[in-house]
Amino acid sequence: MKKLIYTFAIILIWLCVTPSLVQAKENWSLENADSISSISISTDGSHIAIGSLGAEAFLFDSEGNEIFRVKAMNSVTAVKLLESGTLLVASDDRHLYAYDGNGKLLWDRNLPRSVKDVSASTDGSIIAVVVQRSRELLYINASTGEDAGTSSLGVTMQGVEVSPNGVWTAVAAADQYVHVLNAQGSLVHKLAARGKINAVSVSDEGIVVVGSTGFKVDIFNKEGQRLQELSLKDDVMDVTLSANGDLIAAADYSGNFYVFDDQGKMLWETQGDSAGRVVAFNKDAESLITGADRGIIYQFDVGTAVKSAKKQALMNKILVTAGCLVVLAILAAILYWMKKSNRLGVFVKIWRAKYIYVCLLPGFGLLILFLYVPAFSGLFHSLYDWHPGGRTEFIGLDNFRRMFQDPYVGKGIGNLGILIVTGLIKAIIPPLIVAELIYHLRSKKLQYGYRTAFVASMVIPAVAMLLIWQNLYDPNVGLVNNLLELIGLGSWSHGWLGDPNTALWAIIFIGFPFVGILQLLVLYSGLLSISNELIEAAKIDGATLSRIIRSIHLPLLSGQFKFLIILSLIGIIQDFNAILIITGGGPMDSTYVPALQMYYAATKFDALGYSSALGVMMFVVIMAITVINMKLLKSED
Amino acid sequence: MITQNNTVTKVSVLPSTGGKGRNIPWPMIKQILIILVLSLLVLLTLIPIIFMLVSSLKNNSQILSSFWSVPSPAVWENYSSAFESTWRYVVNTIFYAATASLMVMALSAVAGYIFAKKMFPGKELLFFIMLAMMMIPHILTLIPSFVLYENLGLTNTPWAILIASAAGGQVFGTFLCRSTMAGIPNELFEAARIDGASEVAVFLRTVIPLSLPILVTLFIMHSVAVYNDYVWPLLVIRDSNLQVISVGLTQFSKQFGITDMGPQFAAYAISSIPLVLTFTFGMKYYVQGMTQGALKM
Repeated sequence: MKKLIYTFAIILIWLCVTPSLVQAKENWSLENADSISSISISTDGSHIAIGSLGAEAFLFDSEGNEIFRVKAMNSVTAVKLLESGTLLVASDDRHLYAYDGNGKLLWDRNLPRSVKDVSASTDGSIIAVVVQRSRELLYINASTGEDAGTSSLGVTMQGVEVSPNGVWTAVAAADQYVHVLNAQGSLVHKLAARGKINAVSVSDEGIVVVGSTGFKVDIFNKEGQRLQELSLKDDVMDVTLSANGDLIAAADYSGNFYVFDDQGKMLWETQGDSAGRVVAFNKDAESLITGADRGIIYQFDVGTAVKSAKKQALMNKILVTAGCLVVLAILAAILYWMKKSNRLGVFVKIWRAKYIYVCLLPGFGLLILFLYVPAFSGLFHSLYDWHPGGRTEFIGLDNFRRMFQDPYVGKGIGNLGILIVTGLIKAIIPPLIVAELIYHLRSKKLQYGYRTAFVASMVIPAVAMLLIWQNLYDPNVGLVNNLLELIGLGSWSHGWLGDPNTALWAIIFIGFPFVGILQLLVLYSGLLSISNELIEAAKIDGATLSRIIRSIHLPLLSGQFKFLIILSLIGIIQDFNAILIITGGGPMDSTYVPALQMYYAATKFDALGYSSALGVMMFVVIMAITVINMKLLKSED
Repeated sequence: MITQNNTVTKVSVLPSTGGKGRNIPWPMIKQILIILVLSLLVLLTLIPIIFMLVSSLKNNSQILSSFWSVPSPAVWENYSSAFESTWRYVVNTIFYAATASLMVMALSAVAGYIFAKKMFPGKELLFFIMLAMMMIPHILTLIPSFVLYENLGLTNTPWAILIASAAGGQVFGTFLCRSTMAGIPNELFEAARIDGASEVAVFLRTVIPLSLPILVTLFIMHSVAVYNDYVWPLLVIRDSNLQVISVGLTQFSKQFGITDMGPQFAAYAISSIPLVLTFTFGMKYYVQGMTQGALKM
């Protein structure tokens, strides 16, 4: 299933090159107000009520002009606008206030403890109030403010939501269940949340949306079955459903706001600059009002986004259908052509070889899905600001431009140059000397013995070897400094890896005396394959050993040299294990290489597009080296 | 520095020996010189290992005060405390290495045989698709692969390591098996087929036994590669119960810090045991694989 979603996502990314069309219509901010605790929008959309933790409640018109503000004694925890224009304000000062449309106090209900939440149906027939530490949900009469009844849940509550038509009431309880009550206040069912419930919302149809800790939003139908699970990027702060229940908006702690459709598909997402607190849809879900920390309110025009997302979905459908038709037409044309030219026999052959294809299927399945898809995904996403699961934007060559301005990459290329030069010397000279020495041993047993002794250094896992070398360089207990003291150069000893001037050279020196096993074996077997007659003939002609090495061994080993050089080049460009483990690129930027910067871009800076671009760059360089090498090989032949 | 001086002198000695063929002891001296130089190089190569073994039996004060001395008394407890914190990683890694290598062997044997001995439409195209992957460096696919595995929900499961190394290893494996299996004479298969053996029986009873050496080579080479892998497990595995030894060792050293160096070295020694066993029994195959692989490229 997930694979299917992924492939679908790839297709979508392909098709969704146009950026989303949402602009923040306007934003305004409450003067010296604290975080916004709640927003309520009247059914006709003309009024917006906002409660803030700064102990004030505000009423705005749809343009953002303030109509009035009222003060409470303590933080305002919830506001609710009724159809009649009545504004309910719940506060930690243990009061529930009701104001009319001009800011005149209608009634003021004194309650035993802080009022944590209030919600109501739009006509005010049901007003549900959550009082701190109370195990009963309190219903209140809209016109008088007196008790209209209670409903006992047997557990303390955090929040309440009443559907606009008053049929459903969803209560977020401290036991991590959402209790869904009907209009009479009796329990219909309990929905298990994934953790502490941060927000809940219920629609006229009884669809319940629950946001809980753990970055998840769950959607339940009115039978209490979980329909969808949505992932956000941070803890959910608020969720809300549009009146007809087909759009879901959410806010998270990082300040991202999201709009999903009822299938769980993300239609729109935006990033604010401070923690998101509340979200609310206005009438017809044309715009989304969001409240963030420090009293900032954004109004987003999501109607167009939703419409364009729908349009795009339709377009995608049309495109996919059209694409399928084209492919079918091409297939038909090919078949027709094959029939005409009497080549249908190939299908008979394919059918006969069906078991062969079945046998190749697992291998090629893995090959394509896990090697080709990532390779192309890397090439493709190097042109994007890539955020898997979020918004991915086409940014052209910006990632590559960034590479040229990145000082770490610049430093890294310089270091890589040093590493390549020294690496090539290390890869050729010491193994060649050792291979010649072993080759010139008379005794076959000794030859075998030394070869084995060198290979024996492989028994230490590569990472353990690096860590041992790290210890050898240790300024206090390391062997290198000890050795220097022993031969009277104690004044030279210092923290080799801690000094930016020596760190890179310390890394290069790892593996001394650099007798690479692969290199040794390749060169040694190369020497063995040189025919003895050639050497005998040279000896008879009076050639000295140095002459034999220079004029016979080295030219005949040129193929091996080329192979080793190309292999070393490719290996050095890609390898960053040693640097990652031992210095992590430091001290300062002294041991950075491009591959390390690629790894950091992906793991530390969440810049996957940039990371892919660095990968592509190294891929291009390696390809160029390989191609040049092949050309050279060919010209030699 | 010292060794390089030595090798230089040695090179200058060699030519003079070639010219003076009449002088009888020269070849002997030459041989002894070679043996000396090689022994020194072997010693230098193995110094980190010796250092690790010696230090693994010391406690901190022994390491700090008497750096060169043999450990006395030997602190064998280092090994038990290192074993406690590393056995899990070692077992995990052996499991990954063996399973992934078996997968590689199976995939490569089947694909190698088909590409070596079977004719079917699209053979060249499919083989090219396989071969072209050898040209793509893993640095290009590293990060996108990580995202892919994350999206498929495979990260932090053993599959992340098994699938990745099976998919990557089969490419080279197929290549190696194909060239070996192409060398098996067709008459052998024909004989079996005439005897009424099915295609599966031919593959299992003729092809597999005849190409067993290359399959063992593949198994050993791939196991060693998986055992040494570092960056990929670091990216995809977060649960320390599933982690591999390479990553485990780096975390182990961070966790112990300078305070406990003995167990740290003991942990390195313990992590080498599987490789020691592999090389003891499979050195021949490993060497063969390396040289053959190199020649086939």
